[in-house]
Amino acid sequence: MFRLQSSKVLAVDLTGDAVKAKNGSMVAYDGQMAFKKLTGGGEGLRGMVTRRLTGEQMTLMEVKGHGTCFFADRASEINLVSLNGEKLYVESSNLLATDGGLRTGTTFTGLRGASQGNGLFTTTIEGHGQAAIMSDGPAVLLRVSPQYPLTVDPGAYVAHQGNLRQSFQSGVTFRTLIGEGGGEAFQIRFEGDGVVHVQPSERNTIAGDV
Amino acid sequence: MGFREINSKMVEATVAPGQRLFSQRGAMLAYKGEVSFTPNLRGGQGGVMSMIGRRVANEDTPLMTVEGSGTVLFGHGGHHVQVIHLSGDILYVEADRLLAFEGTLEQGTVFLGSQGGVMGMVRGQVSGQGLFTTTLKGHGAVAVMAHGGVIEVPVTPQRPVHVDPQAYVAHHGDVRNKLSTALGWRDMVGRGSGEAFQLELSGSGAVYVQASEEKL
Amino acid sequence: MSTYGTPGAAPRVLDPVTLPSDDNVDAYTFCVELKGSQWFMQKGKMIAYYGSIEFNGIGHGRLDRLVRKAFHSPLHASDWVVAEGSGKMLLADRAFDVNSYDLDDGNLTIRSGNLLAFQPSLSLKQSIVPGFLTLIGTGKFVAASNGPVVFMEPPIRVDPQALVGWADCPSPCHHYDHGYLTGVLGGLRAMTGLGGVSGEEHQFEFVGAGTVLLQSSEALMTEQATGAPPQQPGVPGGGSPGGAGPGAGGPRLPGQLGDLQRRFGL
Repeated sequence: MFRLQSSKVLAVDLTGDAVKAKNGSMVAYDGQMAFKKLTGGGEGLRGMVTRRLTGEQMTLMEVKGHGTCFFADRASEINLVSLNGEKLYVESSNLLATDGGLRTGTTFTGLRGASQGNGLFTTTIEGHGQAAIMSDGPAVLLRVSPQYPLTVDPGAYVAHQGNLRQSFQSGVTFRTLIGEGGGEAFQIRFEGDGVVHVQPSERNTIAGDV
Repeated sequence: MGFREINSKMVEATVAPGQRLFSQRGAMLAYKGEVSFTPNLRGGQGGVMSMIGRRVANEDTPLMTVEGSGTVLFGHGGHHVQVIHLSGDILYVEADRLLAFEGTLEQGTVFLGSQGGVMGMVRGQVSGQGLFTTTLKGHGAVAVMAHGGVIEVPVTPQRPVHVDPQAYVAHHGDVRNKLSTALGWRDMVGRGSGEAFQLELSGSGAVYVQASEEKL
Repeated sequence: MSTYGTPGAAPRVLDPVTLPSDDNVDAYTFCVELKGSQWFMQKGKMIAYYGSIEFNGIGHGRLDRLVRKAFHSPLHASDWVVAEGSGKMLLADRAFDVNSYDLDDGNLTIRSGNLLAFQPSLSLKQSIVPGFLTLIGTGKFVAASNGPVVFMEPPIRVDPQALVGWADCPSPCHHYDHGYLTGVLGGLRAMTGLGGVSGEEHQFEFVGAGTVLLQSSEALMTEQATGAPPQQPGVPGGGSPGGAGPGAGGPRLPGQLGDLQRRFGL
């Protein structure tokens, strides 16, 4: 159902069913398609707050119809992940599309880079089906195991799954250069058992791209 | 002649006396031998007047004529370059997506406003692409730029193709295009203008779509 | 267990054992292995690492001796860091192509914005050509470029913005193409600006034996400040501010056209 037309374009063949995709990411389609904007973030007050904070960028739309629909977003590289019941965590702005049958939710991931508003929101995807995640440049998959914990720059984090604990540690020591920002002041440390996707780029801020 | 793809972002062309290439201003990366690059006063059909017309319409992508004897490397802004070979048919391409093309091709400009009247003009404003599209006809090679590369989607009489105007790069064949505001799009308020419109292509040919909604 | 799919290729999940040492992971990511050793790198280019690695700004305490040996350029301190420790570290830059190069008692001049990281065994000096740095000695360094680097040999003329660097051949000269300014049309162009400019009036010209490195880019990657030479007359790049002689305003930054720029209002 999900296939890669090129490394940056996702092709989805629909026969009356639906998929969820990032708002505005359709580049072309043939046949008949209907597009409906979904209210993301969840229900109620928390949902409304989430939507306001995450902005238009992370809204999903529902695409339903008969034919082939092509999705792409700013020439980002696409990776397909097949889920068989487990949970995938994706940086919200890195999610391109999911099978209609997968459940999506949003979690707050804490103070990661809070000063820049970076990476506060992670989308969780659960169930059976395929998801397409994007990265700025082809993603590298790194395994985390008890003997090999992994430290990741927040701007490079794309997604993870497995039994992983996240914690934050300080990055570069610029003790005497207060205010010399620009780089990430924090790093994310992953421990446990699982896989982390990282992208070869720092382009990953909640406020949009660099 | 033709263009040799050095990598996905660079093409190489060999120029010999008597042969000519046209390329976008500033698209030359390096060259060997004796090659001259002259700005092309005649930006399209009709000489100076057409050029002024293009200025008015904000189409300022002047071309340059490349002549001489040597090899030239073309590329621009690190964008992906796609080489399309024409054998007698017409290619419609947005002027600012054209990187370079062989002098054997006949170049023209089409005023999109003439297609579909008011809707045509609206399409031009809305997609920010300007009102003019360049046509290339004949036998030869064309190097086209796109953000992230292109995919080729065939258009058949039974299956018309709808394209996001900002992702449209070029098309060839016997294809009619029209701007439509399909139902269902009204629910979508996306980034920028142009989300409410789609380009509908019907007929027989192929359309090149880029992997991005960004203009170059 | 879930599966990962990429077009055609089998999914590769990497760990510290399977990650390469001091080699490319893929075209956009490079892996450096530290075994109690050090590497100089640009701030913000590390994307992930295994092990225990410390990143310290230049010019802080115990690293001063190292800095004095390897840096011979008044680099803006906060743009470079020293990575020290043990583990495997992944470097990347804005999804640009990254590659490592080995210098064996050689020299290579590279645009400052394209240099990502280098071993302390190399000396970093500032090139006469503004905006470029010269690496001398024996060791490895990592460079980023917009699209894969293309290697060409002189004689060749290169658009200033497409130049990544050069090795072994002499520094380039400026080449100006005034041909199109001749004749009636030429006069018209010069006076009215109608007809535009081709944008190709100025290139760097290389001759001699060596290699020239190119990329497809008309947009400069952010320049890293390399410091400025002392403002003294006679020093290329220095000289009194605003000093202009016939045809000499000091070497221009790549991409600028100097007089031509003013003339055409670019």
